[in-house]
Amino acid sequence: MSNTFEKAYHPKLLVLACAVMEREIIQFQNDQVEFKFFDYGLHRTPENMAKALQVEIDQASEENYDGIILGYGLCSNGIVGIHSKKKRLVIPRIHDCISLFLGSPESYEEQAKQHPGTYYLTPGWIEKGETPISKFNSYAQSYGEETARWVLHEEMKNYTRIVFIDTGVNDSEPYRKIARQNADFLGISYEGLKGSPKLFKDLVIGPWEKDILVLSKGQSVEQEMFLDL
Amino acid sequence: MIQRDRKNYSMEITPFSVGDEVEKTLCQLKQLVVQKDCNGVKTLTERMVKDGMDLFSILNRGLIPGMLEASDRFRKGEFFIPELLMSSRALKFGLNILRPLIQEIRKDVLGKVVIGTVKFDLHDIGKNLVIILLEGNGFEIIDMGVDVSPEKLVKAVEKNGAQILAMSSLLTSTMSWMKFTIELLHAKGMSRRVKTMVGGAPVTPIFAKNIGADAYCREATSAPSVAKKLLGIEENGQTVFAE
Repeated sequence: MSNTFEKAYHPKLLVLACAVMEREIIQFQNDQVEFKFFDYGLHRTPENMAKALQVEIDQASEENYDGIILGYGLCSNGIVGIHSKKKRLVIPRIHDCISLFLGSPESYEEQAKQHPGTYYLTPGWIEKGETPISKFNSYAQSYGEETARWVLHEEMKNYTRIVFIDTGVNDSEPYRKIARQNADFLGISYEGLKGSPKLFKDLVIGPWEKDILVLSKGQSVEQEMFLDL
Repeated sequence: MIQRDRKNYSMEITPFSVGDEVEKTLCQLKQLVVQKDCNGVKTLTERMVKDGMDLFSILNRGLIPGMLEASDRFRKGEFFIPELLMSSRALKFGLNILRPLIQEIRKDVLGKVVIGTVKFDLHDIGKNLVIILLEGNGFEIIDMGVDVSPEKLVKAVEKNGAQILAMSSLLTSTMSWMKFTIELLHAKGMSRRVKTMVGGAPVTPIFAKNIGADAYCREATSAPSVAKKLLGIEENGQTVFAE
């Protein structure tokens, strides 16, 4: 059977995705696809991510879906071990969501090699995730400004660039401004990049090939599936 | 025993035998690391040294278990980056007192370790913690920093005559550079006399084995005992906190 989504088959698909990509991925909503979004904070604790997603997958496996799509990359092994006994799992073969926002793993790799110390921001990350400034404010609230400054320095000292990815889903100007403010706050350079919806589209609509993995029923996600060794 | 304000000890304390003041104090030291209390750790470590307590007990049964618990809490999502960094800083306050004293006893360094975060990876919180712990245990460290190419790492091993090459990575996208570095070590015919150890959040024992690493560190706190094992150094009855 082909991996490609076949319209004649009318499958019902469930997308489980991180909230930071809601605007970008929901563009490809149609009456065959349902979406469920999860707090971005799961990416900080990979063990919790796997548990939270597995609970949803187990529940969805009992329902009338034809397949489950994950709006997650390998995310620091956060999806390792995830499986569905009854449904196919469709997953982008990427390390993290930046490849989705940029449109391909190759675009991300090119950026990562040229500027490894890049902190990426998107409208979703700014709205629902975190930024260096929001981190600082949260640290300062818990531990005072002096400690917050030290912690943020330790965490961010090797970063040299903030990149704002314009994903084109809304007026990007306010977000671009925030991204610039973050670069100024850290005293590092700023760059704007144009995103691409291609990988989001491939993930939800198909074709499921090249950068999209399709796991058969019962098959678990393994780290090796994402590595080029 | 040092008395401190009770309100500082609201966290769960590991049980100890009643009347065992040494255990009780070690337990307090551990909790102070978990509680990120730099001055508390400094004061208590100084006091323990002054009281003639065994330096390796202070290290391996007080400070390191405290850091181990902080790391565990981080993994479980109970601690975040700030808490982990602050515990690590508290640990450093204690180790700064112990290190010169341990060096006096040992005289010679246990071994030379070249360490670095691999190519295209800028994350060094875990690596820096490993450095603190290895130095505290008597290893000499050559820190190559972050985003270090296989060539630079192997060259540093060669130049310094290091026995261990330690590599860290926080990204699944950069882990492969550990493999490339180990391959280069093999290609240069150095893999027999140089042992490799790898670690970092996404690194698994299977991955470490697949790329031919000699050892895997599940967390920074296990680095000293793993490094000692690699060099065949006896732990002298000290508690081992390996994988």
